[in-house]
Amino acid sequence: MTWLFPLYLLGAAAIIGPILMHLRRRPPQDRVEFSSLMFLDAQTPMPVSKRKLEHWLLLLLRCLALLLLALMFARPLWRVENEAPLSQQTATIILLDRSASMRRGDLWTQAVDAASERLQKVAVTDRLAVATLDRQTQLLWSFDQDRGAASTRMATLKPQLNALKPSWESTDLGQALVDAAGWFGSAQGLSGLQKRILLVSDLQEGAKLEALRSLVWPENIQVEVVRVEVPNADNFTLSLAASSPEEPTTKDKEAQKPTEAVTRVRISNARDSKLSDFSLDSTPATSGYIAPGSSRVITVPALTQPEGSTITLTGDAWDFDNRVYIAPAQPKTVKIVYIGDEKTRDEAASPLFYLSRALQPTPSLKPELSVIAANATALPPDTQLVFVSGARLNATLAQSVRALAEKDGLVVSVIAEPTSPQDLETLTGIAAKDWGLSASKEEGSESYSMLADVQTAHPLLRPFADERLRDFTKLRFWHHRKVALPKESPLEVLARFDNGDPAILGKGHLILLTSGWHPADSQLALSTKFVPLLYGWLEAAGFRNEQAVSLLVGDVLPLDGATTIMTPDGQTLTLKPGAAPRAEMPGIYKVGKELRAVNLPPEEGRITPMDVAKLRELGVRVEDGGLKGTTSTLAEEKERLAITEQEGRQRAWIWLLGALLVILGWETWLAGRIRQSAPQPAFTSA
Amino acid sequence: MPTTLDSTALARIRSLELRAKVIVEGLWKGMHRSPYHGFSVEFSEYRAYVQGDDPRYIDWKVLARSDRTFIKKFEDETNLRCQLVVDHSRSMSFGSGPFNKADYAATLAATLALFLMQQGDAVGVTTFGQTLQEHIPARNRPGHLRRLMLELEKPAPAGTTALDLSVSQLADLVRKRGLICLVSDLLAPVEKLERQLGLLGAMGHDVVLFHVMDRAEIDFSFDKSAHFRDVETGTERFVDPNMARETYLNRLKVHRDFIRRACERQGIEYHWTPTDTPLERVLFDFLSQRQRKKGGGRV
Repeated sequence: MTWLFPLYLLGAAAIIGPILMHLRRRPPQDRVEFSSLMFLDAQTPMPVSKRKLEHWLLLLLRCLALLLLALMFARPLWRVENEAPLSQQTATIILLDRSASMRRGDLWTQAVDAASERLQKVAVTDRLAVATLDRQTQLLWSFDQDRGAASTRMATLKPQLNALKPSWESTDLGQALVDAAGWFGSAQGLSGLQKRILLVSDLQEGAKLEALRSLVWPENIQVEVVRVEVPNADNFTLSLAASSPEEPTTKDKEAQKPTEAVTRVRISNARDSKLSDFSLDSTPATSGYIAPGSSRVITVPALTQPEGSTITLTGDAWDFDNRVYIAPAQPKTVKIVYIGDEKTRDEAASPLFYLSRALQPTPSLKPELSVIAANATALPPDTQLVFVSGARLNATLAQSVRALAEKDGLVVSVIAEPTSPQDLETLTGIAAKDWGLSASKEEGSESYSMLADVQTAHPLLRPFADERLRDFTKLRFWHHRKVALPKESPLEVLARFDNGDPAILGKGHLILLTSGWHPADSQLALSTKFVPLLYGWLEAAGFRNEQAVSLLVGDVLPLDGATTIMTPDGQTLTLKPGAAPRAEMPGIYKVGKELRAVNLPPEEGRITPMDVAKLRELGVRVEDGGLKGTTSTLAEEKERLAITEQEGRQRAWIWLLGALLVILGWETWLAGRIRQSAPQPAFTSA
Repeated sequence: MPTTLDSTALARIRSLELRAKVIVEGLWKGMHRSPYHGFSVEFSEYRAYVQGDDPRYIDWKVLARSDRTFIKKFEDETNLRCQLVVDHSRSMSFGSGPFNKADYAATLAATLALFLMQQGDAVGVTTFGQTLQEHIPARNRPGHLRRLMLELEKPAPAGTTALDLSVSQLADLVRKRGLICLVSDLLAPVEKLERQLGLLGAMGHDVVLFHVMDRAEIDFSFDKSAHFRDVETGTERFVDPNMARETYLNRLKVHRDFIRRACERQGIEYHWTPTDTPLERVLFDFLSQRQRKKGGGRV
């Protein structure tokens, strides 16, 4: 038997207390009033030599309780030899951090040296695996490889390690540890070996640990952290901030014109940094102050170089995170055809007037609206969207419009006065007799219809799923056509008027409106719903109006059908079908014809060293050896960990606690009984 | 011999007067005698008539029978004067039974007072501690009994016992011959007491001494070592009763024998009255002894 905390055994000496208390015969404290002492002589209390133990059973129980208490705190355990690793052989995984933060100073050299040093210490009989970690964990040398070629591992691994360079990716330390713990389980022939992970890293604050939350760390896997350090912690980090949806602040308004495009960048200062002044090489150059441990968002005028722009920060010690790359705006062209009269483009009463003004270019979309006459025979090539408002198409054109709707284009047609059931039959394929078409003019100047029963779940009306845009009470329709389609019609009613008449009908990529958007029919073109409605239709046609997603190193590059990639360092890669290339460095990539900016993950700039206790909080059994750890202290620490583990399994102190409680119960009962049976003073004066 | 009353039940009667009445009534019942027996004028002797005698006292019946003139002579009809002297020192407050010694002494004195006043005798009460505290001269008038009872009921006895001094003062106050009943535990030096009691006897007083003691004092029935505190002086002594009992009992015996012999020498009637003795028995013994001493007749 041995003890986890043997010093507590000294507490057993406390049994002297009760022994002395039981030996100490107090002179009687009772006082008796008596009529006269004239016949009594004074006597002296009993001498010390005559002392003897009183209530020995009570004393025994009290001594026993104190002894048990001392034993309990000393945490006894039985050393079970076979519980300790039978073999002194180890299975080690060396995890080498090659994230972007390792590019600082000589960190990478230190790390490779530390890993090489540990490699040399691993005996041939031991098992070894080597992996690098950044955003992903990558095995350089697996246990299975090691089983067959343990003797040549140094010769194989050393050149590999020397050839390695730090990457530009972030550090997912949690996932790397989870992966490494998994390799111990999956590799064969590791049972009975001591399992340990040697983590060589700068252990920066920005390393991700979330993956560890999903894993209960195996008790038999120890992690030794070898932390590599550089003394200088002065670092600013530059990253792109999300564009603000709010109005520009007063300061911004003063700084530039409200309409001017801006770029928002975030600058963070490391917690341990001694610097606070920075400068940006934007146009115009910006400089400022930022306190250590805080961050600040700065608005700079948007850079518009066609080949992509770079903003560089200067003023700190480490350069690796001082750049952001911004790709130029590359709007998609949407070819839209309006079938009608080109002359009405500037007539305020015509539908074209509103359509041409609503379809303005955005950073991501560039609508090109062309007008063809109703008697044209064919649509222009590459037409993607067609708007028809009341014009009677000639049969050939109507056929090509219908073909477009059936292919992948979008056709929006307004059923106006000249539209006949035959035209609709040509467009939709529904027999003319089924339409039941009639005009409906609201009686009186104050009469109008409103939209009701809008199917906001439908893709064509999705913009109105937002509750803020769902109020249709201010949208009035003066004039619409009544359509009485049979129930089994393939046309779906997407919205109705409040009198129950269909307002918007849809079938695939064909949309029919029973009232136009121009003022003669309704207030739709003048309402706030018109532009969202148009862009909803564009989105349904495959043209999403949204900002280009900012890419980080390690992300998969969106190809959009491209087959070649030009990397920032000028290499051109030809892609195989089905390939999903990852961005390996920050900069401007040219994917096909598109330019893509890839930036460093901003958390990689948080270089303040992380406390190892964070890993322990997540359950990882860490022994922080560091580069300065000595063999003897490590051995002691290992021994201490081993007996702590055994004690934790045996938990003998719980039994001692139970026995202690029982004995205390007896003691209380016995003491109460003795007290009750003690004689009370017999005589008192009246 | 009267039937004894339960001392616990008696102790529950808070009124001293009522308690005395209960005892006296019980005494009479036990004796089966008229309570008014002693009130008749008692005949003393005949003598021959001489000229100048009051013819009212001639016994005409004897004259008719014997034709000789005799005069009937009677004893002088003076009331008995009884002074009850009760110890009110702190030591009287000790008690182990339902009565402490002070209660017992007060009840005894009250019983005697009631009994004697019912006979038409004059009764007074004197209390003492270190000196005389209260002195009510002997009288027999309406309301006097009540006054005596109030005096006897006074609580909180105080001070030490100074017997010789108190008896000496008493001798100055009670000049007329009479009965003096001294009720005390006599827990004080008694060397000079004999002389003082002898002085009272010499003054013509008939002295009766009731020596009141508690059973715990008599037997010293303590069993646990303790600090014994003198209730009069406040001094404390550590005493192991088992070791001290024999000495105590010997000393108490010597003390008691000394008092008893002193009483015998001075012709003083001594009554040993532990507090667990029924009071009617004490009264009965007292009356019996008085009657024996006087050769019958009233107290």
